[in-house]
Amino acid sequence: MVKIYSTQTCPYCVMAKDYFKQKNVAYEEFDVSTNEKAREEMLNKSHQMGVPVIDINGTIIVGFNRTEIDNSLKS
Amino acid sequence: MIYDLIIIGGGPAGIAAGVYAARKKLKTLLIAESFGGQSVIATQINNFIGFKSISGIELKNVLESHLRDQKGIEIKEGGKISKIEKSAGGFLIFIGEAMPDGRQEYFESKTLLIALGSGHKRLNVSGEKEFEGKGVFYCSICDAPLMSGKTVAVVGGGNSGLYAVLDLIPYAEKIYVLEYSDVFRADPIYIDKAKESGKVEFIAMAKILEITGDRFVSNIKYEDRNSGEIKELKIGGVFVAIGYAPNSGLVNGLVEINQNGKIIIDHQTQKTSLEGVWAAGDITDVLYGQINIAIGDAVKAVLNINDYLKKK
Repeated sequence: MVKIYSTQTCPYCVMAKDYFKQKNVAYEEFDVSTNEKAREEMLNKSHQMGVPVIDINGTIIVGFNRTEIDNSLKS
Repeated sequence: MIYDLIIIGGGPAGIAAGVYAARKKLKTLLIAESFGGQSVIATQINNFIGFKSISGIELKNVLESHLRDQKGIEIKEGGKISKIEKSAGGFLIFIGEAMPDGRQEYFESKTLLIALGSGHKRLNVSGEKEFEGKGVFYCSICDAPLMSGKTVAVVGGGNSGLYAVLDLIPYAEKIYVLEYSDVFRADPIYIDKAKESGKVEFIAMAKILEITGDRFVSNIKYEDRNSGEIKELKIGGVFVAIGYAPNSGLVNGLVEINQNGKIIIDHQTQKTSLEGVWAAGDITDVLYGQINIAIGDAVKAVLNINDYLKKK
């Protein structure tokens, strides 16, 4: 299960989403600028508020980091 | 196998070089951590010739698709280069870390074009690192929407600072712009827009001393360089926008760099101090950091590399 916490304007969020699309990985997206519950969830998971935050089956990745995404998807 | 050319970097310079190298049928590999370069985070670019207005991410897509349309060029995306060494045939580029048995992925090339660009500068004050992402931000287009109803400090009174201000205006309640010198160098059009919002207070001659907080940022301390007085602002976020520094750490020692960390090049050919190595874009000591210029300089470099390989 992949979750992306994002804002509408964030280019790295777009890049991350494009990357998942390219790999045919389904994801659920949460806009933390409007969804307060999702914002709290993101803060609790990543202990910070920069976007994107990506949750891959419980592994938390801050920012768009292809290597970390690949490693988490493999495991 | 030895490549004719390895291009390092996926920003406008690297991409332009890739297109030209492919058209010259050079056996080329382009290595990039990602595409688009630093302009990816630009909300809007209004001076990229051919487009009245384009966002950073749209520009990245346009450039990247032009590159990927070229036949013959190989692309290695996502790899982090750890080391560059001279070899008998030219240069060895090592990717990532060595395995326990000492094996490491590497590529060899007769020539190199370095187009690693630049990245945002840090303030290097106490609290900056500790609170990164916890109220200290560098990408306003990404993180401004999280500043709803908050008081925010933007550090830097140049264009990048004012871009951050404009990204923040729809969300923040109040914005302080702190500038070290006595002038705000941003284009007047941006300063005027900021003033019109009624939310922005400009503070010149401010030397940032410290960023503090608990779980998240709560205060920024600065010295008023006119009076010497130490002042403090209560804020919910700090956006650092004090300009850019070249990403030249990897090639420091391989080619000559100046005191600002920029690669010294011959401006007619883009050659560096080391034979077989060229550089283009914001990583060089080019006078103006502009996407249009980076593209032109990269083209110059590839044409010169092509001449060099033919003569060899």
